[in-house]
Amino acid sequence: MSDYADYLATYASVAAIIGVGVLLAAGMLGVNRLFRPTLTTPAKLLTYESGVDPVGAGWAQSNVRYYVYAFLYVVFAVDAVFLFPWAVVFASIGWAAAIEMAVFLGFIAVGLVYAWRKGVLSWT
Amino acid sequence: MSAVSVQAIVGAAPSPIEAPDVDYATISPLLIILGAAVLGVLVEAFVPRAYRFVTQIAVAVVGVVAAFVATVVVGAGLDTVDGEVTGRGGPTAMGSLSVDGPAVVTWAMLLFFGLLGVLLFAERRLDGGLSAFTSQASTPPGSADERHATRLRIEHSEVFPLAMFALGGMMFFASANDLLGMFVALEVLSLPLYLMCGLARRRRLLSQEAAMKYFLLGAFSSAFFLYGIAMVYGYAGSFGLAEISTAVSSQIGGQNLLLAGMALILVGLLFKVAAVPFHAWTPDVYQGAPTPVTAFMAAGTKAAAFVAMLRIFFVAFGGARWDWAPAVWAIAIITMLFGAIASIAQTDVKRMLAYSSIAHAGFLLVGMAGLTSGDGVTSVSAVLFYLVAYGAAAIGAFAVVTLVRDAGGETTHLGRWAGLGKESPVLAVAFTIFLLSFAGIPLTGGFISKWSVFAAAWDGGAWPLVVVGVVASALALFFYIRVVVLLFFAPPQGDGPTVAVPSPLTWSVVAITVAVTIVLGVLPGPLLDLVQQAGAFVR
Amino acid sequence: MNGLVVALALPAVAALLLVVLRDMLTDRLAAWAGVGVSVVVAMLLLVTWVGGDGDGYVAEVDLVWVRSLDLHLHLGMDGISFPLLLMTALVTALVCWALVDDPPRGDNATPGLVGLLMVVLTASIGVFAALDLVLFFVFFELALIPMWFVIARWGDPHDPVGRRTAATRFLLYTVVGSALMLVGFVTVWALAGTVQIPELAALGAQLDGGWALFAACMIALGLAVKTPVWPLHLWLPDAHAKAPTVGSVLLAAVFLKLGTYGLLRVFVAVLPGPARDLAPWLGLLGVVGIVVASLACLRQADLKRLIAYSSVGHMGFVVLGIATLTEIGIAAAVFASVAHGVVTALLFFNAGSLKRRFGTAEISVLGRGMYARMPALAVVLAFASVASLGLPGLAGFWGEMMALRGTYEAAAGADGAGLGEALAAVLLVGALLGVLLTSAYFLRVLRRTLQGVPTPHDADTDLAGSERGIAIVLVVAVLVLGLVPGLVMGVVEPSIPAILGGAR
Repeated sequence: MSDYADYLATYASVAAIIGVGVLLAAGMLGVNRLFRPTLTTPAKLLTYESGVDPVGAGWAQSNVRYYVYAFLYVVFAVDAVFLFPWAVVFASIGWAAAIEMAVFLGFIAVGLVYAWRKGVLSWT
Repeated sequence: MSAVSVQAIVGAAPSPIEAPDVDYATISPLLIILGAAVLGVLVEAFVPRAYRFVTQIAVAVVGVVAAFVATVVVGAGLDTVDGEVTGRGGPTAMGSLSVDGPAVVTWAMLLFFGLLGVLLFAERRLDGGLSAFTSQASTPPGSADERHATRLRIEHSEVFPLAMFALGGMMFFASANDLLGMFVALEVLSLPLYLMCGLARRRRLLSQEAAMKYFLLGAFSSAFFLYGIAMVYGYAGSFGLAEISTAVSSQIGGQNLLLAGMALILVGLLFKVAAVPFHAWTPDVYQGAPTPVTAFMAAGTKAAAFVAMLRIFFVAFGGARWDWAPAVWAIAIITMLFGAIASIAQTDVKRMLAYSSIAHAGFLLVGMAGLTSGDGVTSVSAVLFYLVAYGAAAIGAFAVVTLVRDAGGETTHLGRWAGLGKESPVLAVAFTIFLLSFAGIPLTGGFISKWSVFAAAWDGGAWPLVVVGVVASALALFFYIRVVVLLFFAPPQGDGPTVAVPSPLTWSVVAITVAVTIVLGVLPGPLLDLVQQAGAFVR
Repeated sequence: MNGLVVALALPAVAALLLVVLRDMLTDRLAAWAGVGVSVVVAMLLLVTWVGGDGDGYVAEVDLVWVRSLDLHLHLGMDGISFPLLLMTALVTALVCWALVDDPPRGDNATPGLVGLLMVVLTASIGVFAALDLVLFFVFFELALIPMWFVIARWGDPHDPVGRRTAATRFLLYTVVGSALMLVGFVTVWALAGTVQIPELAALGAQLDGGWALFAACMIALGLAVKTPVWPLHLWLPDAHAKAPTVGSVLLAAVFLKLGTYGLLRVFVAVLPGPARDLAPWLGLLGVVGIVVASLACLRQADLKRLIAYSSVGHMGFVVLGIATLTEIGIAAAVFASVAHGVVTALLFFNAGSLKRRFGTAEISVLGRGMYARMPALAVVLAFASVASLGLPGLAGFWGEMMALRGTYEAAAGADGAGLGEALAAVLLVGALLGVLLTSAYFLRVLRRTLQGVPTPHDADTDLAGSERGIAIVLVVAVLVLGLVPGLVMGVVEPSIPAILGGAR
């Protein structure tokens, strides 16, 4: 039971190096913090980007209506991606393939139906 | 892609593709749950609003119960496989799912959690006849639209199909036998949960913040997981766990790809199980999400993700155990200690339970460090038992949280819980039992689960983990005791907490989880035998 | 039916019934029910013991509890555990009797309190009877929670914050201790592949080496918190002082014995090799405890705290007896445990009576001249004190005597003793100093409270009702133990080889 522990003990040097690293970094930053003067002025605390003061809020919204575009695109694009390769091998597999594709299309249709009933598809 | 391989794909004659041979009976529990979810979507689309909520409950409950029955039938019919290790069942659906003993046990466990979750979702008596979910998620909090929707008694009954999708994803996750399937399952289980987190009726901003954080961090971790999968594919040339396992034990060279891949996959999974240092989302999400969702998520996600993690690392990366074990050791240690210490400083019940969930992830990782096979308790059986005991207690504890209320909805500040023992002794005793189980006091499920993971870990040579684990549980006890003192001995603040009178739904959840917690502590034999017989993973 | 199993289950069932039917019971009825159950348990234990064939473990049962973890419901009693079992049941009966005339605060609170006491009784019987390490641990922990409630809920009414702090400290110390003990048990299990105490004891000296030493250290630490061994006794004075009378009595008479019994049954019997390595340290700490506790007692202003510290001293003698690893030392440990249970119960009942009358147990508040003010109470207090300081002819004498004798034998170079000759000699001197100091502090208390010019107080009322009955029973018990020590020794002696078997 202890050979495993012995094996892990070989990682002790890694742990030691990590520890030394953390200590070193923390020590340097800490010493820096202790010795440096901190004189904050409002101007110094300002967020800036390339030397330019920020303008306006950082929050912009796009119109939720575009969600419908994205939604319909995903539904039909995903359809198409699977339908093309399916069409190639359809003949060799036969009815099983038809049924399975119908199940897949059915799932997509359920989503579409839900969206329709919830009024997502109407523009206004 | 090199020119040769393009040539191979484009130029070769379309080789006859065999129709996949799927044994539908074996994976019927999964199909039933996903079917119930799809049915739920249709119910949402077509059933009139007045009947919708009740219909959704019926669909979900019938679906879960039917899936449970199917799971039992499947479990009883598993063949015993004698390989290197004794196992049951095996891969099905062209090797993309492995319906083996652990998978079936996890299915049953998840369905049990799912049923309890649905019962909590269905509770409508606590908040003036409305469920815990917002009327219309799209209205801004506090707006006139929101008040209008509430007045019309609109409800988001979508939570039921969403929960079913999440449940289906969890079941798939626990039994997926290739990495790609696992990724799909991970997304199927995560996306509905992100959404459900943002649906709280009260304190909606907090809830939306939780959903946003969970989504962003979750998407980030999924990316890690996917990147890891890509690297492992680069190493082994396959997504299948069995093929990866063969490559790990026989292939020479390319170790760097494998190591990087394992590390990235581990990061993705540790995020889901809320292990330190990938735990940062847990307290915020647990606090912000509607409490029934938190209950479902705490129990279900943890169970599914742990079983998937054990499956990947024991089956696919079993041969590289000495490479990943040190990482698991280190993470288990910091997770246990951090969870225990951080919970001491908490003043909010839901955050406290979140940190306790982090600590329990650590204990479960201790179990992972144990033996993969043997006569005694193996890692898999210990972890499975632990997940049942922890999940039941966690759901019960969150169910109690839904009942302690004031005018603004649930009151989760610990100070407001003072004097609950006088207000409602039964509820306080139930909560105490859950806390004692979290703490691992004997005669609760928590003790036997800790004993079994520690036993498994000790057999696997992970004694330092056991020592740290015992110390961490003693530390954590400090906090649980503080809460119990508060419940029973502290003078109430103001009028003290009020306990809403719930419908039989929530009561039955509390009663069932208390019963499970105690039975697992006093008579753990049957469940332990069951998880033991489930045997090892079969690839 | 196995008498031991019934004795274990009966209080648990009673506890459940008391809690369920609490609204239908009056305070007095609940208290009497507690007395009845405890007495029946005591009778059952006695009958089972007498009916046993005296070979190995009496009334041994071995049922599989959790097959896959190899845990057993393995119970049995021998000469080491039987006296402690009987003492536990009797003290619990007296404790419930005390509740008849002195019901706890709160409306109809007695059923709840007696229910908790019944759980403590079940757990204590479980610890003393367990022959499976995990079962031992389960009952060990089970005893804690109800006791914690008793202290936190019904402790000192004048100091709600203090009693909660004391209760929580008690719980945390013991739980951390038992967590360490659990690590030790897991280690033993990993080394030996079994947790059945008889099998482990039969393995004897085979458990040796670094890991066994580690296990022994963990187990000893856990049990030392409970016993308590200096310097891990810090939880004890507060817990005793803030607990209600029933809590103090049970803590002193029963809870501390869980620790000493564990040292015998698990530490010495299961891990004889490492126990031999650790025995000198244990003996040293025991003697330091005796001296330090005596010195602390000289400075105590509160009677309950004083009795609590005196317990630390008495447990020092028990630990010293165990550390000698001689037959007489082990016998001393068992005898002193039982005697301490009876004598300290009497002391705490007395202190409780005083606290009930005066609202405090501060010696300065109690006033002087109690012989004149409350003759019966004063005489009983004096009797208990001299019994506690070890007057020949009373219960306290034999335990201390035999512990010193065992140390002397070790100093004289007896075969197989756990202490070296020089160390034993030093410890003997230290322990003798402790005996002197013990006499000093008890005499100081007696002089300051019982003697002198009476200072009458409104609350002066002599022993009455159940107080009087309890005092009579305990005084008789102290006299019997002191005058006929053979009663206990005859039971204990045949079982000592089983404890020391591996150590020899």
